[in-house]
Amino acid sequence: MNKLLVSPSPHVHTSVSTQSLMRDVVIAMLPAALVSVLFYGWSEILILAVSVISCVGLEYLISKFLLKRPATICDLSAVVTGVLLALNVPPTCPWWVIVIGAIFAIGVAKMTFGGLGQNMFNPAIAGRVFLLVSFPTYMTDWTVPAGFIHATDAVSGATLLGAYAEGGVEAIKGINYLQTLFFNIGGSAGEISACALLVGFVYLLVRKVIRPHITLSIWGTVAVLALIFWAINPAKYPDPIFALLTGGVLLGSIFMATDYVTSPMSAKGGIIFGVGIGLLTVLIRYFGSYPEGVSFAILIMNATVPLINKYCHQKKYGRK
Amino acid sequence: MSKTFKIGGVHPHDSKFSRNCAIEVLPLPQTVYISMAQHLGAPAVPCVAVGDKVKAGQVIAEPAPRALSAYVHSSVSGTVKSIGPRKDIAGNNQNHIEILVEGDEWAEGIDLSTDLVTTIPTDRAEVLKKIQMGGVVGLGGATFPAHVKLNPPAGSKAECLILNGAECEPFLTSDNRIMIERSKEIVVGAAIMQMVLGGCPCVIGIEENKPEAIAAMNKAVSELGYPGISVMVLMKKYPQGGEKQLINAVMGREVGSGALPISAGAVVQNVATSLAVYEAVQKNKPLVTNTMTITGDCLPVEKQHNYLFRIGMPLSWIAEYAGGVPEGAAKVVSGGPMMGRAISNLDACTVKGSSSLLYLSEKTTKRAAQSNCIRCGKCAEACPMGLEPFLLNKLAKNGMMDELEANAVQDCISCGCCQFSCPACIPLLDTINIAKGQVLGILRARAAAAKAAAEAAKASQK
Ligand code: SF4
Ligand code: SF4
Repeated sequence: MNKLLVSPSPHVHTSVSTQSLMRDVVIAMLPAALVSVLFYGWSEILILAVSVISCVGLEYLISKFLLKRPATICDLSAVVTGVLLALNVPPTCPWWVIVIGAIFAIGVAKMTFGGLGQNMFNPAIAGRVFLLVSFPTYMTDWTVPAGFIHATDAVSGATLLGAYAEGGVEAIKGINYLQTLFFNIGGSAGEISACALLVGFVYLLVRKVIRPHITLSIWGTVAVLALIFWAINPAKYPDPIFALLTGGVLLGSIFMATDYVTSPMSAKGGIIFGVGIGLLTVLIRYFGSYPEGVSFAILIMNATVPLINKYCHQKKYGRK
Repeated sequence: MSKTFKIGGVHPHDSKFSRNCAIEVLPLPQTVYISMAQHLGAPAVPCVAVGDKVKAGQVIAEPAPRALSAYVHSSVSGTVKSIGPRKDIAGNNQNHIEILVEGDEWAEGIDLSTDLVTTIPTDRAEVLKKIQMGGVVGLGGATFPAHVKLNPPAGSKAECLILNGAECEPFLTSDNRIMIERSKEIVVGAAIMQMVLGGCPCVIGIEENKPEAIAAMNKAVSELGYPGISVMVLMKKYPQGGEKQLINAVMGREVGSGALPISAGAVVQNVATSLAVYEAVQKNKPLVTNTMTITGDCLPVEKQHNYLFRIGMPLSWIAEYAGGVPEGAAKVVSGGPMMGRAISNLDACTVKGSSSLLYLSEKTTKRAAQSNCIRCGKCAEACPMGLEPFLLNKLAKNGMMDELEANAVQDCISCGCCQFSCPACIPLLDTINIAKGQVLGILRARAAAAKAAAEAAKASQK
């Protein structure tokens, strides 16, 4: 008889692995990526390719040559960052800007902290914010390139949020929310279709990759705050549905705020985190100088996670 | 909607392949080796000598004096060949009595017939004595002497007797079989324990993946007609059969940290223990037999069994009888895959609490290489005690004892849910178990010091 294994219990293990979780996140982003390719065509394919390849390549090179340890690219977390970064830039963004974004996301925000699990900030958000600050012109060029589907029927031109920032409530009069739900041309790639993002959200919930607390508390907070402002002064502030469907709230709340590493552990902590993001998003939008507040809000709240974790614990059995 | 416990839990595949294998009686081997340490507490002290003739059911070891301990009986008739150390399943030396089997003669007064005795005795002290003299211990895993648990300290009152028929560990089916085949005896055992506890209601908790057992137990309960006994269907979720989780599922209460179940008004006994109580009290038959499952993911169903075994049978002999250790078995586990122990030594023998020979293939049981913690919180979500295993693991790695205590590592029930769930394959429980041992040591030392100080203060007052 062969030698028997003797390790302590448990003797069985779940089939869920880091890799399978990350694969599920990639799958959940596919509808949004697909829609962006349909509407933005070849340039979007290029962006996706450049972004994923540079993120994965950088992670490989850094772990192999700088950190001198086995590369962890098989866990697919770099692919997630790559797709997310691509969904976070405008379709006209030059390829080298994306490479710089990837260098910041993977090189600075992720690997200098020790790689997956050790980073304080979500790499894709960090990359996006870095680009937003460093290359504002490229990051807010909302020219619509030719896509595979002709988008005459879609809301087009500048992003809705940009239009609102410039022209106020007047500028966004008459937009059709039903249409926004399906295709809202002129945002960064990931913001085209609320519907595609929601499909991804449902997939993540069904596969039990994420819990709904964080995302829902962001939506709730944004909606309630927007409602208050709108009720006070409907001539100045847009309605809550507008606030939710535009400016990357969906993309950020579903895919970036829910990043395991950079969000709180407990459900209670997740709610505080989500409320914080919602609050900051609305405040930055209405009172800050950037029309788009989600990325900054998530980044700021990422920094509070250790503190939240310190004070928020789940209920223990048999203890108060 | 079937009931369950509120915090945590996991859903491993239940793999109850041997659920339909009726209980078969194992023949007798040539020799049995009966361990003195088959209960929680101090090992029993042999009261026979080499060369003595013994009968099955005869006391061969008495409880260690002034300690939590239990009687041990011979499971066979024959001659005592040796008394001395022998390795148990974990490879630790324990005192064993070796008996050469000759015939199958049982001690006097033991009723081996299958007639059901349904009259419940009324002398509480007498019944407790019989349970103690029968060497009955809890058969749900902890092997805690039953007469102690059934005799709550003065001032505490049992409000509910919970019979544990959850059998939440994957693969195991022995409880399922006894609930199907010996349901009435189990219910009589429950009625006896009800009487001992002062007539509290009794709830038999069974997971919903055992419909035949639920039907059989319901039938037995209604046919026997004892007052206050009912069957409760529980959701399939591990560790439903954990004492604290079962109390929460059945009564909606939580047992305070560090407290005993009786503080929440609960007494929990396994269905197999109830059967042993029945046999000890109604048939005078001490605990020398139990049921075990021969199963695994690399064993064809036709080779799986549920056996009625006698204590002291060598596992290798049972394995041989059942057709040998299957090709492809990388690990043999005694108990379930979540909390059972890997057997390093198949020459070890069955004890009162043996429940299985579980053969696991390398694919199922081999640990994958661990990677970075991705802080997904899945371990905390899974923990039925509401602990944060990722944190405990980190604190333990850094040897931070005070923080470990503050984060309740001592409440861990070693259920394995955390490690089972971790997508990064971090061996959380290995680390947590060690840390728990250290913190419990510190707590005990502190309690002892406090006691000594109190006594010293008392002495100086005099
Ligand atoms: S083994 Fe301990 S820490 Fe892990 S899930 Fe079970 S009770 Fe929680
Ligand atoms: S389950 Fe594993 S990876 Fe996830 S938080 Fe717990 S220890 Fe970390």
